[in-house]
Amino acid sequence: MNRRVFIAGVGIISALGRGRRAHAEALARAAGGVKPLSLFPASHPQPLPVGEIRALEQAGTVPRTHQLALIAAREALDHADGPPDAIVLGVAGGGMSTTEVLLKEKIGDPSRYRDHAAGSVAAHIARAVGCRGPVLTVSTACSSGSVALAMAMEMIRSGRADSVLAGGADALCRLTYYGFHALQLVDPVGARPLDRNRRGMTVGEGAAMLLLTAADTPGGDALCELLGAGLSCDAYHPAAPQPQGLGALSAMRQALDDAGVKPSEIDYIHLHGTGTIDNDLAEARAVNALFGREMPLLSSTKGATGHTLGAAGAMGAVIAAIGVHEGLVPASRGYQNPDPELNLAPVMAPLQTEVRRVLVNAFGFGGNNASLVIGHPVQCRRINPVRETRPFSVRGMAVLTGAGDGPATMARLFAGDSVKGVLNYEALATHLPQRTVRRLKRLPRMVLTLAAAAVAAGGPPHAIFLGTGWGPLSEAYDFLTKLYESGEQFSSPTDFIGSVHNAPAGQAAMPVQATGPNITLSGGDYSFEQALLTASLFQHVSARPILLVGADEHHPAFAPLIEPAAVRDGPPADGGAAFLLKPGETEGMRISSLFFAHARQHPQVIPDAIAHLGGAERIMDRYAAIFFGIPAAYEASGRLQLREFLDAVRFGGAVVDYRRWTGEFASASAVATFLAAQCIQHDEIPQQMCGREGYSPDGRGILLLNLGEFVTALETVP
Amino acid sequence: MEELIQEMKVKIIETLSLLDTKPDDIDAEAPLVGPETGLDSIDVLELVMMIEKDYGVKIDNKELGMKVFASVKALAEYIHEKKTVH
Repeated sequence: MNRRVFIAGVGIISALGRGRRAHAEALARAAGGVKPLSLFPASHPQPLPVGEIRALEQAGTVPRTHQLALIAAREALDHADGPPDAIVLGVAGGGMSTTEVLLKEKIGDPSRYRDHAAGSVAAHIARAVGCRGPVLTVSTACSSGSVALAMAMEMIRSGRADSVLAGGADALCRLTYYGFHALQLVDPVGARPLDRNRRGMTVGEGAAMLLLTAADTPGGDALCELLGAGLSCDAYHPAAPQPQGLGALSAMRQALDDAGVKPSEIDYIHLHGTGTIDNDLAEARAVNALFGREMPLLSSTKGATGHTLGAAGAMGAVIAAIGVHEGLVPASRGYQNPDPELNLAPVMAPLQTEVRRVLVNAFGFGGNNASLVIGHPVQCRRINPVRETRPFSVRGMAVLTGAGDGPATMARLFAGDSVKGVLNYEALATHLPQRTVRRLKRLPRMVLTLAAAAVAAGGPPHAIFLGTGWGPLSEAYDFLTKLYESGEQFSSPTDFIGSVHNAPAGQAAMPVQATGPNITLSGGDYSFEQALLTASLFQHVSARPILLVGADEHHPAFAPLIEPAAVRDGPPADGGAAFLLKPGETEGMRISSLFFAHARQHPQVIPDAIAHLGGAERIMDRYAAIFFGIPAAYEASGRLQLREFLDAVRFGGAVVDYRRWTGEFASASAVATFLAAQCIQHDEIPQQMCGREGYSPDGRGILLLNLGEFVTALETVP
Repeated sequence: MEELIQEMKVKIIETLSLLDTKPDDIDAEAPLVGPETGLDSIDVLELVMMIEKDYGVKIDNKELGMKVFASVKALAEYIHEKKTVH
């Protein structure tokens, strides 16, 4: 069967207005939405220009990002028959616009921080629209929205979903307003992308959502077809693009290949075009290298909307869809003077012309690049055979727990003690060069330590997938603390760059030159499962190994505010695990993602999970043990789910509550997966953990269930 | 001036967490940024913040930054000059 991916609905809100129609009109008359900041008082004598959405009423305590995302989501679903099978959302800031105000006012009530997490935005939409399937949050800074669309496309191509709501959202906040200013990346007169006199970007806000649907031929509702995507990582620098645009070039090339399209078939490029000196130069070099004399029309719309960060790529996709549907190429607002070094001639006034295929670029911190190809649903044809997902074989693995590294962790467990705790900071990154880690705080140090150990055992990876529920807490907290201590005068550029969720995975890519997809997922306690699922979606990209990491850091001041349930009982804990995995191998120990559903909306979630696992009999035969985890915040619902599962399966093997042994933190399931793999290798599950003496898996696997708000299942089998 | 140069070296080490470097390891006339020292544009911006905060001297564009951060000596001279003017 041919599974093509159509764009059946779009929703958009930005400084240009609210809705697809308003944007089509604004783009057709080259309107601009950039004005001096009014959302919050700035410490600068003259507030910097921003792409602010002025007519937005505060809806109770719902953070601004959540509000924007839901507005776009509802528009995209306007004509849909029912809720989407899955949601994939790209965000950089999440609930930061609310959190930063609470921290500024020194509010200590954790209930006020409940919408802090990056993953809380997608969860908000899922609740509002009634989605039962996977709800994934990708946080790769300014490419987030495009990466979300690439993931959603692969979910449809692989048959995991027939409809996916995907896009990006980010609200203006102090963190980004002051952060980009500290990096001297803001043009004081507003962004002039591609102009010779450009001085930087304009920070903006907005949301763009697209409803993607599967079909073999376009239905009447198809606005466009999502033809292909390409992802890459520069593996060069945490914030600056590779100067020749090599990463950007690779992403564009892969997107065209994936779409089955030649450069000459692209009519228009919606550039990332932020207006910074370095981005526009690197992007121009990449575009020149790929298109040469067959240069399509091109423009950047960031002079009109500002740079909407996590929403930018999805906003580009919606603008591309408008362009194809209405035959419109938007102007490059702010561009006046050609820059000979760029060798590009952007569109200066809106152009009414046939647009069949558009290339959409989005690049972000961490050298994270994503390109999409969007085309006319009838004129473009794409053949997509259904892609089969195969297990990953484990080539190397590593862990960090309160007990230390892998051998220390297993020794402690076989001695009957838990490995809960917060590993001594000095013990992290001891094997890494001081120069490499001097700018890195706790989470990136953990990730680099894990990556180095897993890679030493299994060889360098092509792609990296990181799940982190809490993200880099130290960098975000330190950035805001320093900012407020100085009366919003000074902030740390290093902490700003480090505060993006994908900074650790971007760092991990550099020493091993992992230039393939580099995706960071942040969905609370299910982030590691999201990372494994996402890794499965991109198996076709390369036969080379990938690195899968799940890690979270404890922060003594911040963690009790954003994750009170995790630190309420027992000692604080953090840690993580990394796996060097080879796709599609049948030899040796394997790890697979088996099930991922939103339990809150889904009364039949446990029977559904059992059916996906092949039924009770197969579960009994295949697994020696079930390792289950119930995040503290979902204790009651998780217990009910566990009982229902065990009763239905009549499971006779060992049942292990892994959070009793790992402690409470968002990526505890990554550590549990390491423990399961070690138990299979040792052919024994520690007695205290499983309540049985000398219990051997004996050639069977271990099933890992993560329960609560979501129900997920993954397996490790020998 | 020699005193300010010494002071700069200490501040640079502190601000950039150069734990494996002592003030005497830094050559005041050698390039401060580049592969030799392992310092890059982010470090420069971090120093820009420190200098504005501790000395009230603004360095707010890249061209000026290139000149000022050519070496520790150039940096000290620039701060000295700007502080004297005010």
